[in-house]
Amino acid sequence: MMETTTSLSFTKDGFEAFTASRDEPGWLTDLRHAAWKKYAELSWPARNDEEWIRTDIRQFKLDRYSLSLEPPKPETTATALLREGVELGGDCTSLDSLKIHSFVADRWAEKGVIFGGFDDVVRSHGDVLQPYLLRRAVNPNYDKFAALHAAFMTGGAILYVPRGVVVDEPFYALSALTDGGADFGHTLVILEDGAEATMLSETASEDTVGGGLHCGAIELILNPRSHLRYVNLQNWGSHVWHFAHQKAVVDRDASLQWTIAAMGAKLAKVNQHVSMIGEGANCQVNGVMFTEDKQHLSYHTLQHHQAPSCRSDFLYKAGLQDKSRTVWRGMIKVDPIAQRTDGYQRNDNLLLSTNARADSIPGLEIEADDVRCTHGSTSGRVDDELVFYARCRGYTRKEAIQMIVTGFFQKVFDRITIDSVRDALGMAIARRVREYE
Amino acid sequence: MSEFVQVAKVSDVTSAGKLILEVEDRMVVLLHINEQFFCIDDVCTHDGGPLGEGELCGYELACPRHGAKFDVRNGAALTMPATEATVVHEVKIEGNHLFVRINEG
Repeated sequence: MMETTTSLSFTKDGFEAFTASRDEPGWLTDLRHAAWKKYAELSWPARNDEEWIRTDIRQFKLDRYSLSLEPPKPETTATALLREGVELGGDCTSLDSLKIHSFVADRWAEKGVIFGGFDDVVRSHGDVLQPYLLRRAVNPNYDKFAALHAAFMTGGAILYVPRGVVVDEPFYALSALTDGGADFGHTLVILEDGAEATMLSETASEDTVGGGLHCGAIELILNPRSHLRYVNLQNWGSHVWHFAHQKAVVDRDASLQWTIAAMGAKLAKVNQHVSMIGEGANCQVNGVMFTEDKQHLSYHTLQHHQAPSCRSDFLYKAGLQDKSRTVWRGMIKVDPIAQRTDGYQRNDNLLLSTNARADSIPGLEIEADDVRCTHGSTSGRVDDELVFYARCRGYTRKEAIQMIVTGFFQKVFDRITIDSVRDALGMAIARRVREYE
Repeated sequence: MSEFVQVAKVSDVTSAGKLILEVEDRMVVLLHINEQFFCIDDVCTHDGGPLGEGELCGYELACPRHGAKFDVRNGAALTMPATEATVVHEVKIEGNHLFVRINEG
């Protein structure tokens, strides 16, 4: 009887079978081969590597995971939070990196907007993507995870908005995981000159305590005078390993509002970079993290000013309970040419239990002499006087703490300009707050 | 409370030696000192350093990153920069086999 392969491992044989199974442009196959070669050359991160010194991945075993080749189920049971009550311009859903469905409204397709699953769009519009995919933003040679992703990337979504087209309905992408599944989704957003768009991107597991692997990337390319609002919510099951490289490139007079929410995963290690490459580029990043149990979320951000008169504003807020831990390491880097830079970064942490831990390490690397760069970090516990005040007015301790947590996040919620996102994040956090004595 | 898990043979840990193990989703270090076995979390409570890679002197294990020392018998932090004890796990010997019971505390 003939054996049927139902999954691909992350080995040389698995890689050969993966590339052979795909019908995609030659340049992409070449890119994958180069990435696989780099992956084979690179070592896994060492424990004394500064970027990994606080993040222990010794228990991560890549050989426990594989990419599914089974036909996907017609639907996923993963709970989606961001699309509730939102009129969408397009929708794309995948499960274990396999597309379930996608659509783009005719009114946008007629204007030249391209939106769909990664695998479909690289086949249908490879020529449009070739100058961008892993060339302008994320570096596939950065580390072993970046190279592994580049070799096996599949699933995720691509949005391309032509010059001058203003899209006033959000596009939505959901990447879901089955328990023990693997997701290698790649998100690529390209806005041509003067284009405007909003994209909501969400990851979730079918089993909220399920395991799995995400090794992914996000690339946001903003050409001059374009404007993007991008939201990504990481809401994997509590035993998922999440490794991601995320980078935006913002050109002259373009603006980016990037909201990042991280709530799921057993361990997450994310590199989030924004490069401002054209004069007058503007970016605002709103980070919301909420952790529980033994979760470990590690975010390394870089706001890189490579042109004059750019503005960057990063605000990350984290609430931690149980024995969870966050690591936030932020850097503002200003090149010599980037005079009149206005850079700001801040990380606030609210510790809801005595065993939670937040490491916050902001940094500045400034090579220009006419700049304004400021940073700040706070970490603290819930103020008992505030709890006492609320309880005197009839609230239970849990209600009081929920109010304090909501108030803590309010500053970052106020910056999010999409109502549905603000409401979804607020409710998701409020539901998770436990009762502490 | 978790059960004892067989983790190694007695002969796997040389005298005055140590062994890093993964037991029930946890990284621990097993130590053999003066015919006794001890087991503590492989985590420095100062900044998460790998205690198992540190130097053992008597019952004191030093973190290789910043030199914080811990008493392997009770996990106590003996020197700065660590101020909190690391978690200690129960060890028992049956025949030639070593068993560890993970302390979730």
